[in-house]
Amino acid sequence: MTLEIIGITVLWTFLFGYILIGAIDFGAGFFNAYSRITAHEHTLTKIIQRYLSPVWEVTNVFLVFFFVGIIGFFPKTAFYYGTTLLVPVSIGIVLLAIRGSYYAFETYGARGHKGYSFMYGLAGILIPASLSIVLTISEGGFISMVDGNPVLDYWMLFTSPLTWAVVVLSIAATLYISATFLTWYANKARDPEATDLLRKYALVWSLPTAITAGGIIFELRRHNPAHYVNIQDFWPMFLISALMFIGTVWLLWKRQKYGWAFILLIGQFIFAFYGYGASHYPYLLYPYLTIYDSFTNPAMAISLIVAFILGLGLLIPSIVLLMRLFLFDKDYVRGKGDYHA
Amino acid sequence: MTHFLMFYAPFIVLFGGIAAAFIIAPMDGAVYKQMENEKK
Amino acid sequence: MGNEEAVFYSRVLTELTLSFHIIYATIGVGVPLMIMIAQWVGIKKNDEHYILLARRWARGFIITVAVGVVTGTAIGLQLSLLWPNFMELAGNVIALPLFLETFAFFFEAIFLGIYLYTWDRFENQKKHLLLLIPVAVGASFSAVFITMVNAFMNAPRGFDISNGELININPLLAMFNPAMPTKVAHVVVTAYMTAAFVLAAIAAFRLLKGSNHVYHKKALYLTMKIGLVFAIAAAIVGDFSGKYLAEYQPEKLAAAEWHFETEENAPLIMYGVLDDGEVKYAIKIPFGLSFLAHSSFTAEVVGLDQFPEDEVPPLYIHYLFDLMVTIGVGMIALAGIYWIGMKRRWKIIHAKWFRWLIVLGGPLSIIAIEAGWWLAEVGRQPWVLRGLMRTEDAATTSGQVDLMLILFALLYLILGVGSVVILTRMFRKNPVEQEIEDRETEKGGDVL
Repeated sequence: MTLEIIGITVLWTFLFGYILIGAIDFGAGFFNAYSRITAHEHTLTKIIQRYLSPVWEVTNVFLVFFFVGIIGFFPKTAFYYGTTLLVPVSIGIVLLAIRGSYYAFETYGARGHKGYSFMYGLAGILIPASLSIVLTISEGGFISMVDGNPVLDYWMLFTSPLTWAVVVLSIAATLYISATFLTWYANKARDPEATDLLRKYALVWSLPTAITAGGIIFELRRHNPAHYVNIQDFWPMFLISALMFIGTVWLLWKRQKYGWAFILLIGQFIFAFYGYGASHYPYLLYPYLTIYDSFTNPAMAISLIVAFILGLGLLIPSIVLLMRLFLFDKDYVRGKGDYHA
Repeated sequence: MTHFLMFYAPFIVLFGGIAAAFIIAPMDGAVYKQMENEKK
Repeated sequence: MGNEEAVFYSRVLTELTLSFHIIYATIGVGVPLMIMIAQWVGIKKNDEHYILLARRWARGFIITVAVGVVTGTAIGLQLSLLWPNFMELAGNVIALPLFLETFAFFFEAIFLGIYLYTWDRFENQKKHLLLLIPVAVGASFSAVFITMVNAFMNAPRGFDISNGELININPLLAMFNPAMPTKVAHVVVTAYMTAAFVLAAIAAFRLLKGSNHVYHKKALYLTMKIGLVFAIAAAIVGDFSGKYLAEYQPEKLAAAEWHFETEENAPLIMYGVLDDGEVKYAIKIPFGLSFLAHSSFTAEVVGLDQFPEDEVPPLYIHYLFDLMVTIGVGMIALAGIYWIGMKRRWKIIHAKWFRWLIVLGGPLSIIAIEAGWWLAEVGRQPWVLRGLMRTEDAATTSGQVDLMLILFALLYLILGVGSVVILTRMFRKNPVEQEIEDRETEKGGDVL
């Protein structure tokens, strides 16, 4: 295993963490806002807020970790992606800022404020859409070199069916992941009404997730044939992913073992995400940038990996403590103790 | 000397400041005296 | 848009983001320590007021943290978006502290979540206080690591350049560069100082607005004392910074002090204006600059005459220096008088005008922080990486920076107004007198 592979695996794992935790978070914000409009407020708000409150800040760190890490391990990405992504990522930052701050404003300052809930619900659901554009751009074809500087072709980007397929997938998957998780959480909190409603949402969003995921692979065949061929080499991973998806939907349908349904969902996304990542190898940006020609020097790589291991030694126990106190604490989940400052 | 002032002294001042803050923080007798004065 | 424009707008946008972020970042670094001290005093003296103080500060703190986190994410990404060439080089040498900062921040975020949601959950209050330590440590270390990166921009170390290639890279040497100790210590102590004076301003304001509760008096006395300690610490470290500059970045010191000719027995110029290259209306402190630079009243101080004209920072940084130092010294005086006045029972410190000065001290401390950062950043020009990369060569070639500037200006306006509205609303709705009463009835009235 080379340093390059270790680096990209660590980063890809954190990106996966962000996508999973972020999806739960953004979807929850959206369902919260939606339930207020459709007067399901009493059913959902409590469950969602109990989950979100202690963890919202942690979500954001996964993203920061990813983009700081990628500059550290692959400094050349700063040049290619930094120059071209000014507009899409700036929009993403604005959405993240609105989402994060208005969430805090509503939760700690003006509980129940409809305008704030709506703002962060909407901003949250647009974040995956705006950030997923980066993945589309990485497929190549949208960036050309002019006078030695990379330039992004917006017209081409926004008229490409691939772009829109990825956007729809990101939104559908966000809502699907979030609804499945919250179904389990609501069930654990012994709130049958909320469980039923969230289970319905999960089933509703499962189909668009599956269809767009398939559609993207199909789209890649036209857009980036090399990547399409690579994907086929990893067919067992995508097959396992599909089977796990069916398993989740089956359990949800049968109203059984919501915990397992969510674990299968994590598995489904792990296999799909790593399968996609592995087939993207070795390119960070088709066809300009691979993980090898953009890699940092060995001294920096080793110090980053050492720092990472030491950091994990500190973080994992902390995260376990956080989960034990809130996610897996029966009294907390059922809303028996409110110890907020 | 300059080397010491540039590399070590800043941290001594920083930690000294934190320690001093903790030492003087609980000394709030003056507040109670102020309250007594105001009552008079 | 020509690249000159892209450079200009990139600078404006970075300055805007940093100027906005630093307000929340400073509060974010300083306030956890204040909460910790208050809660510790409360437990130690078994005084509910201090514990409530910690609790109310913590509530307000969440709002500022939220804005600090999102604007911090913004500046983190903007570094790559606006300065891609700089980040490509920086990524090779100074990525380690950036990476460590995310861990510090991670650590802080996790324990802040736990701390906020476990008030009264533990029988033993000390356990709850323990949870605050990682928050305060994480917050301060975030500042330490990020300031290391900034120090590196001032004194790049830990690599060699041969034929345009970076060789012999040593990430630790880059982290522990000569600018680091003074810069880190100055940033951290001024954050503590500013947080203390901002909280003091709030307490003084409540006292001015008619409350005469002992809660506010304790809060005011506590924060003014802490503010005084860290204001003095800031001045001492500031003096060390002068010595660092004289040795490693003499052009920055010379530009900030309007020291044009290399000479011995150099006086320190305070205030004044620059008229056609001539200093007017200034106060000259004899031998002051020699002492600041080299701890000796007669030492030679390098002047701007030693540098090519295109490597001299803009001379207006002198005004920023004056502003920062004046506020710093003024706050030492104000807090010092208050502290002695409390001990000696002087009447003036309870006068309305004196309390208004304390209220003013909060915003002034923040202005001093801003002035200090502008001085640090403008004083490094024309370099983004001193001696190695000029700012204009580091910027993006993208043509949409002006639009993004408008977008972010709007965002910061919304966030700034939003956070102020929410904070006032939070504390108006739940005044401390009410909360103390509620807690008494809750506990059967035997607490106070």
